[in-house]
Amino acid sequence: MEYDKVVTTTAWSPGPGCHGGCGVKLYIKDGKVVKAEGDETHPFNQGRACPRLLALTQYMYHPDRITYPLKRVGKRGEGKFERISWEEALDTIEAKLGKIKEESGPESVLFCQGTGRDIGGPISFLAYSYGSPNWIQLGLAGHSCYTPRLGAMMATYGDYSVLDAAQFSEKRYDDPDYKVPQIIMVWAQNPMPGCPDGFFGHWIVDCMKRGSKLIVIDPRWTWFASRAEKFLQIRPGTDGALAMAMINVIISEELYDKDFVEQWTEGFEELKHRAAEYTPQKVAEITWIPEEDIIESARMYALAKPAAIQWGVPIDKCPEGSTVAQAITHLWCLTGNLDVPGGNVIARPAYGVTTYPFSTQEMHELYGEEFVKNLNEKRIGANEFPMVRNFRGWAQPDLAVKQMFTGDPYPIKACWIQTSNILGGQAADTRLHYEALKRMDFVVVADLFHNPTTMAVADIILPVASTAEKESFRSWWVPLQVIVPAVEVGECRSDWEINLELAKRFNPELRKRYDTVKQLIDDRLKPAGITYDQLKEQGGWVMPPENSASRPYRRYEKGLLRPDGKPGFRTTSGKVEFASKSYQDWGLDPLPYYSEPPESEVRTPELFKKYPLVMVTGRRSSVFFHSEHRMIPWLRECDPYPIVEINPSVAGKMGIEDGEWIVIENDRGSIKRKAQVTPIVHPKVISVPHGWWLPEEDGREPNLYGIWDINCNNLVHIGPGAKSGYGGGAYKTALVRIRKANEAVE
Amino acid sequence: MARYGIAVDVEKCTGCHSCFLACKDEHAGNDYPPISVAQPDIGHKWLRLREIEQGTGTKIKVDYIPIMCQHCEKPPCMAPGPEGAVYQRDDGIVIIDPQKAKGCKNIVNSCPYGAIFWNQEKELPQKCTLCAQMIDNGEKTTRCVESCPTGALIFGDLDDPKSEIAKLLVAKAEQVEAFKPKFGTKPTVKYIGLPKLFIAGEVLLSDKPKDCIKGAKVTLKADNQDKVMETNTDFFGDFEFKGLDRNIDYTLIAEYEGYYPQEITIRTYASKNVGELVLRAK
Repeated sequence: MEYDKVVTTTAWSPGPGCHGGCGVKLYIKDGKVVKAEGDETHPFNQGRACPRLLALTQYMYHPDRITYPLKRVGKRGEGKFERISWEEALDTIEAKLGKIKEESGPESVLFCQGTGRDIGGPISFLAYSYGSPNWIQLGLAGHSCYTPRLGAMMATYGDYSVLDAAQFSEKRYDDPDYKVPQIIMVWAQNPMPGCPDGFFGHWIVDCMKRGSKLIVIDPRWTWFASRAEKFLQIRPGTDGALAMAMINVIISEELYDKDFVEQWTEGFEELKHRAAEYTPQKVAEITWIPEEDIIESARMYALAKPAAIQWGVPIDKCPEGSTVAQAITHLWCLTGNLDVPGGNVIARPAYGVTTYPFSTQEMHELYGEEFVKNLNEKRIGANEFPMVRNFRGWAQPDLAVKQMFTGDPYPIKACWIQTSNILGGQAADTRLHYEALKRMDFVVVADLFHNPTTMAVADIILPVASTAEKESFRSWWVPLQVIVPAVEVGECRSDWEINLELAKRFNPELRKRYDTVKQLIDDRLKPAGITYDQLKEQGGWVMPPENSASRPYRRYEKGLLRPDGKPGFRTTSGKVEFASKSYQDWGLDPLPYYSEPPESEVRTPELFKKYPLVMVTGRRSSVFFHSEHRMIPWLRECDPYPIVEINPSVAGKMGIEDGEWIVIENDRGSIKRKAQVTPIVHPKVISVPHGWWLPEEDGREPNLYGIWDINCNNLVHIGPGAKSGYGGGAYKTALVRIRKANEAVE
Repeated sequence: MARYGIAVDVEKCTGCHSCFLACKDEHAGNDYPPISVAQPDIGHKWLRLREIEQGTGTKIKVDYIPIMCQHCEKPPCMAPGPEGAVYQRDDGIVIIDPQKAKGCKNIVNSCPYGAIFWNQEKELPQKCTLCAQMIDNGEKTTRCVESCPTGALIFGDLDDPKSEIAKLLVAKAEQVEAFKPKFGTKPTVKYIGLPKLFIAGEVLLSDKPKDCIKGAKVTLKADNQDKVMETNTDFFGDFEFKGLDRNIDYTLIAEYEGYYPQEITIRTYASKNVGELVLRAK
C-alpha cells in the first residue's frame, strides 16, 4: 500500500470508539488516512489493534458521516436538517443557552455524555464554564458504570486499583519487579470483546500465556470461561452474595494475609462478623453456584500469590452496586493483593495529570473547592444522595429524567448531548427518555453520525472529529500520552475544540488563559513538567518514573499515597477500611451486604411465574462499541443481526429454531430479536446484546431506525435501585418471557 | 524456493475478528495487479471465523477457527477454469488470475472449503492471495497474520527448518492437521489443536456430597481400541477427556479408595457432559 507519511498517535474515542490507550500508526496518502495499525513500539498494545481500529478508514470516510454543522428545519423527528456554518451554529447555541441561563439558571441545562472516554474532560469543562452542575450520563439507570466501583475503592482505601498486567512499566512483562498473577479472577467481564471498556483485553491472554490460571464468574460461557480452572455460572445480579461468601471462607479458614490485615487495615472484626452471615450453603441457593465451588474458588484465589481480579460493569449494575464493588475490593485487600506485583495495583492518572476527572479531589484541583461545593447545592441528586454529592461530580440520571417532567425543584430546559446516543444506547426505559427529551426547549447533539437521538430531538448538530483528526491527551492511567491530529475531515472539530470555544463565550475569563486547545492541554500537563509538543516530539508517550505516586508497587509503605507523605492510605484512618467511614458519613452501611435484584424469582415470585427468564443485556461484541459502528459495513458483517441468545433446552421446549425472529416481552413492552440457540447461556437466562438500532432503516419518526422494535432497554426500568444513588440499574436482571414472533399474544 | 503457509494455533484464537478486518483493509478498494483486484466492500469473507460451541450444562467449550483459502497442494479450483485461470506459484501460493478467470463462476463452487467468492460486479471469482503482493514486496508476513493480537496465526516458509512456522509445526506435530482432511487437497494452511470432542464430568462421594473430590481416578476406554486414557479429578472434582473420536462407544470408570467404582458407557455423537458421578461408600 502506498503512503506519503505515517503519523504516530494514540487512539481514544471516535473511530475505535473505546476508552483507548493504544498506540497507533496512521498511514497518510494525499491528506487521507489509508490504513491504521497498532504501533509495535508502544508498551500499551505492543503493536496490536482491534477490528474497530482496523476499520477506521471506513468509519472516517463513511458517506453518512456528518461533516458540517446542521440545524433542524422541519419538525423534530422529520429528519429535515440544513447545513449551516460553524459561526451560525455557535452563535445560535450561545444565544439560546445564554437566554436559558438568564431566565432559568444555568442548572437547567443538562450536559449529557455517553460512556466515559475523551469526553469527561471537555464536557465537564463546558458545563462548569457555563455554570451548570449537571454533568450527567442521562439515561444510565443508577449511574451504573464504573462510578460505583470507583466510589467503593475510594471509600475503602482512598485510591483505585486495576489488575496488574505490568502496564505501568515500559518493559512490561520483562520488568524484573513484575510477577504474573497465579490466579486471575475474571469477574463479570469478557475481556477480549470487553477490551474497549477501558482495559486492554489481550493483557489477560498475555498473562495466560505466562501461566496465569483463571476463575471466571459470568452467567454466560465465554472463550475465557471455557479455558478457566473454574467457571462459576452465576445468577445475574447476585455477585454481592458470592463476594460475601468468599470473604467468609477466606476469613473463617484463615486464608487471609494476616500481616497485611494487621498492619494496614481496620474494621476486620466487623467484616468478619458481617461475612459470617453469608454461609456458602445459603449463598449457593442465592447464586445458583454449587456450595463446594464457592468454597474451592475462594481457597484457590486466596492461596495464589499473587492473585488479581479483573472486573466488569455488571458489578455496578447489581442492586446496590457500590456495596457489591466494596465486597470485591475487600477480597484483594484481605488477601494482601493490593498494590503488589501481579495483584490489583493502585492506578492513578499518570503524573497526576487530569484528562477526565475521576475523583472529587480532581474536580477541586481543576475548578476550586469553593466553586465545586457551590455547584453541588443544585446538582441533581446531591440532596437525596450524600454519595452523589460527595463523590465525583455527576448528577443522578434517574432523578434527572423525572425532573425533566416535574420541573421540581427547578425546570430542565435544554440538553447538550455529546458522544451519547441516549435513545439508541444507554437509556433505560427508552420511551420515558424520548418523551423527556421531547419536552426540552433546546437540544444540541455533537456526534459523528445521525442516530435515533439526533433524529428524534436534535435542534443543532455539531460534527465531531475522530481520533485521527484531533489534538488531545490522555492520562488514564498510564502512560501519559498525546493524540496527534493526522488529517482533517470536512469541517469536523474535536470535542475539546468545540467545548473550549463555547466555554470562552460563556466565561470570558477563559480567553485570558487559553487561545488554543494546545494551551489548555499544556496547562493540564503541568504536573508532568512537559508540554504537548515536547511529548509529541519524544514519541507521544511517557511512563511515570519509579518511586512516584503514579507508579506501583507498595506505595503505602513508601509514603507515596498520602498528601502528608506518611506511609499508609489516603483515608482518614490511613488504613484500608473494611468498615468504611466514608460510607458511614454518607449515610450508608459501612460494611458490604447483599441485596436481591428488584425483580427476581426470590423477590417477586408472582412476576417470575409470568416472566420466567432473566434478561441480561450488554454482552460485548468485538466489532461494536455500545451503540456505535452498526453502519460500518466491515464490522457489521461480523455481527449482522440483533440477536438473543437462548439455551437449547428453552428453545426446544418452545419450538424456537436457531435464526428465527422471536418476541421478548414484559409488562414494559416487547421487542423482536433473532434467536441464536446456544448452550453458552444459562437455561434460566437469555442474553440480549444492547445498543442496537438499524442505520439502514428509516431514521425519521416514528421508526427512528427501528429502536421501538429492537432496543432491549424498552424492557428495562429506570433506577436508581441503590441507596447510594450509584448502582443498581437493572440492565442485567429484568424478568421477561419469550415467544415465537408469529404466535398471538395471550 | 520458499514454500509459504500459515499455521493456525486454534487454542490461541479468541475470535476477535481482527484478521477479517485486516484482510478487508488490505484488499477492499485496493487492486494489486497482476495478483488480484479489489475485494468488494461487503459480501466476501476471504478469511472467516467459525465459532464452535460444544457440550452442555456445566461443561462447555467455545472455540474459534479462522478459515481461508487453504492454498492446497492439489487445488481443486484449478480444474474448472481455462488454462492459467487458477495457478500455483512456485512458492505454493494459489492465485486466481483476475484476467483469465473472468466469468468463470464454476471456480467458486469447486472449493470444498467455501473459500472462493463471486464478485458480481467484476464477474470474477476471488479469494485469499496469502497477501502475495506483500510477499513479493519483501515483507515477511500477511495482513491477517500481522494483525493477530494473540499469535494464533503464524506465517512463514514451511521448508525452512529455522522458520518460526516450521519450528512450531515440529514442536506441536502431534496436534497438527489439515482442516477437513477428507477433502484430500493437501492444504498448506496447517491447523494446530482443532477442537475435538470431549467427555467431561464431576466425581462426588455419596456421604460427602458437598465436597470437591480431588484425585479420584477416572478411566476411559474405547470399546473398539486398546487405548486406555486415565486422568484424576482436579481441585474442583472435575475431569475431562479431550481429543476423542466421533461415534465411538466408550466405557468410563470413576474410582476412589473406599468407594464402589461407577461405570457408564457413552457414545460420542457430540461432546458430552456426563454430569455428576456419585460413588457410594463401601
